[in-house]
Amino acid sequence: MNDRPRSEESTPAFPGIASRAAATDAEGRIPAANWDELIDSGYLRLFHPAEAGGSGADADAQFDAMEALARACSGTYWSATVSALLCGSLIATYGSLRDHEQLLRPLLSGERTACFGIVEPTAGSDASTYRTTVRPSGRPGGGYVIRGEKSRITNAPTADLSVTLARRDKGPGDNGPDWCLAFVNLRQPGVQRYETPHMGLRAMPWGGLVLSDAYVPEADVVPVPFQALSDGMTWGWLLVSIAAIATAEAALTASVRHAQARVSFGRALAHMEGVQAQLADSRAQLDAARVLARRALRERASGSPARQLIGMLKVYATELAVEITQRAVQIHGAFGVTQGHEVERHYRDAQMNVIGAFASNRLREQLAEGLGLGPAVYQPFDWLAPTGLRHHPVSLDGGTRAVQAVA
Amino acid sequence: MVLAQPELRTDPEAATGLGAGPLERSRELAGRLAWPTTAERDRDRSWDPALFAELARAEPGPSLAGPLVPASLGGGGSTAAEGLALLEGLAEGSRDPGLALAVAVHAVLATVPLRAHGTPRQRERYLPRMASGEWFGALSLRQTHGGAVAPAVTARPAPAGQGGWLLTGRLDLVAGAPVAHHFLVVAAHQGGGRTTFLVDRATPGLLVTEGGPAAMHTCPWGHLLLDGAHVDDGSVLGTVEGAAAEVEPLLAVLDWVYCSAPWLGVMRALARDALEAARGRELFGRPLTHDQATRFALADLATQVELAEGLLRRTASRLDDGGALPLQDAAAARLFVADAADRVTRAAAGLTGPLAGTGDGLAERAHRDALFLSRTGGGAQVLRPVVAASMLGLG
Ligand SMILES: Cc1cc2nc3c(=O)[nH]c(=O)nc-3n(C[C@H](O)[C@H](O)[C@H](O)COP(=O)(O)OP(=O)(O)OC[C@H]3O[C@@H](n4cnc5c(N)ncnc54)[C@H](O)[C@@H]3O)c2cc1C
Repeated sequence: MNDRPRSEESTPAFPGIASRAAATDAEGRIPAANWDELIDSGYLRLFHPAEAGGSGADADAQFDAMEALARACSGTYWSATVSALLCGSLIATYGSLRDHEQLLRPLLSGERTACFGIVEPTAGSDASTYRTTVRPSGRPGGGYVIRGEKSRITNAPTADLSVTLARRDKGPGDNGPDWCLAFVNLRQPGVQRYETPHMGLRAMPWGGLVLSDAYVPEADVVPVPFQALSDGMTWGWLLVSIAAIATAEAALTASVRHAQARVSFGRALAHMEGVQAQLADSRAQLDAARVLARRALRERASGSPARQLIGMLKVYATELAVEITQRAVQIHGAFGVTQGHEVERHYRDAQMNVIGAFASNRLREQLAEGLGLGPAVYQPFDWLAPTGLRHHPVSLDGGTRAVQAVA
Repeated sequence: MVLAQPELRTDPEAATGLGAGPLERSRELAGRLAWPTTAERDRDRSWDPALFAELARAEPGPSLAGPLVPASLGGGGSTAAEGLALLEGLAEGSRDPGLALAVAVHAVLATVPLRAHGTPRQRERYLPRMASGEWFGALSLRQTHGGAVAPAVTARPAPAGQGGWLLTGRLDLVAGAPVAHHFLVVAAHQGGGRTTFLVDRATPGLLVTEGGPAAMHTCPWGHLLLDGAHVDDGSVLGTVEGAAAEVEPLLAVLDWVYCSAPWLGVMRALARDALEAARGRELFGRPLTHDQATRFALADLATQVELAEGLLRRTASRLDDGGALPLQDAAAARLFVADAADRVTRAAAGLTGPLAGTGDGLAERAHRDALFLSRTGGGAQVLRPVVAASMLGLG
């Protein structure tokens, strides 16, 4: 078992994608050559068994490949992995091979891509604000239509298919779940999309879908209890955690290289204890994150939702990557804040992972619940005033001056 | 209120049953034998030989005195990973970092160098008696990070005819000194080379005095004063002037991994206490468990425990692989565990600490002793350069 990343000396995976990473980021588009390389490498097939058109790699091989791709180009990794791993798993888990093989196979062959539309323009963390709804089409052939807006969705501007979370417009006597996943063909009238410019992961297509009664065949609407969905989402948390680990590793590798090359006060930075401390702390923390990530992926791949473990990993690894890329910027001095420099890109990319697929603090709430502290309780914040801690005290001389509330 | 140890007390079957692993067994044993007197021993700075003897001979199951001694020499024949688990369980059950440190020093740091570098004669003389708990082995924690601290003991050849070596110097921070039968001592030669010696307590010229640091009170501490103490050639462990390549790096790895091990158990105990404490309290007329700062702190605390556990266990299991020992990985693991212990102790103490005035005092002990953990094994000033050197190809 290798808990360290592939060594610098071993042939880097995805060499073409890696060599184009800076240009890909600058242009904000994944070039066709990247998709060709992904398809040739077999990456998109790793996560699924042979009967679904995959190659059924084991968890460690999946981990190695994910980290290698994310190191090569994090934007490309996000786009490819959301489609093949996350959307592919959602289709395989909540759909059925019989009905949905024709949706899954093209994602694994790379002919098509998918997005996972959950979040809407309202508060992303709060599912109760989502309004997108599926209702019977009323057309002679049956089926459904979907209406609503999904926003900040990876691959939305380019995807062929959206695995879409929606409410079900339930008719009388329908006791099924309130929610469903709708597998929506995005190449049809009734679908508009937009791009949202973003800070990091610039190559990753990101934006919104406006669904105006887009058609969905009956078999492609799968009623799902909301709770059951959250198990599928842990694939998303894992995917993001590995992106964070890879970005941190890339930033750390760049830092080591720079520390060896840059001379200051007559010696390479590498000889400075202050720089060494930053590198060593990063190494230890990243090792710990990677050990946890491998364990989490093994558990998830063996069928356990591993919610708590993956939740811990997501919070720790994504925040750690922000810290490590920040240290990398510091070690690089002005190079680190120069547009086009590798480390500047990693710094921007790292921030995205903290928010994407459940922002950290929202996830901490869930972890607390998993520890047995009960679900989060939200009340209007009105408990301070009765304690007297919203009032300025009267002067030291006392007196009868009217008590004033703090502005 | 004395904090209950629910897992330790209510499930004796899981603890003693055949299915229980080394961690569960030693946790149960320590909870039963050691924990009832932990607070008292800590207050009195006392070592209880009867308790150690009981831990050493506990049957069936964990051999706490000699898990890493081969079975053919009377030891537990455990793997490195199992040895780690035993120490985790010992600390978790006893809630006593000092006792666990004393056991780690005897059963691992003083033992494994003999197993690895001892002559057949040395192994046969020492290891069975160490494994049974009859002989306690000790060493100075200043000598577990190579020669980073200038050696305080010198060796010079004994006068012709007498043979052997004369050792002179003073060592403090000797864990186990007051109760030890023998000591591992690294001494410097005039030319700068260093040799490891096995020094029996009865050696003429060796004076053992009591006294130790302001932490880890339940570990028996002392100083060694060597005043031309004469040791014969048979007491050299490894090769003469070979310590830097043999015993020193081994001791460093052992300290970084095995003196950290108890903290996995201590952190789990602290996390459990913190969770309990949060459940029982109210603030602003609301249960504290509704407070997000509290919830987030507990989530982060649980995460640190999980991370530290994974990293340290991975490192220990690599010691079982048989190849060269991963020095920089062990250093990184210690760096991480010491930091985690500090974070977890502070977060847990925020909920269970001095204001609570209840419990068995683990939060207070852990505060004091986590600081000890972070300053020993060389502390960050040694660990970071060791890790960085391997990254930078320097050193
Ligand atoms: C790179 C990236 C890719 C994304 N891809 C997708 C995608 O493919 N599909 C998709 O559906 N969405 C996607 N998103 C959207 C993402 O899921 C949301 O941004 C995220 O869930 C947070 O929602 P929000 O941005 O509306 O923030 P809000 O929900 O408004 O939260 C703002 C802040 O408040 C905190 N907060 C919110 N609720 C709580 C709480 N209960 N307790 C404590 N703190 C809380 C959050 O932690 C956060 O810091 C992506 C986002 C990013 C950045």
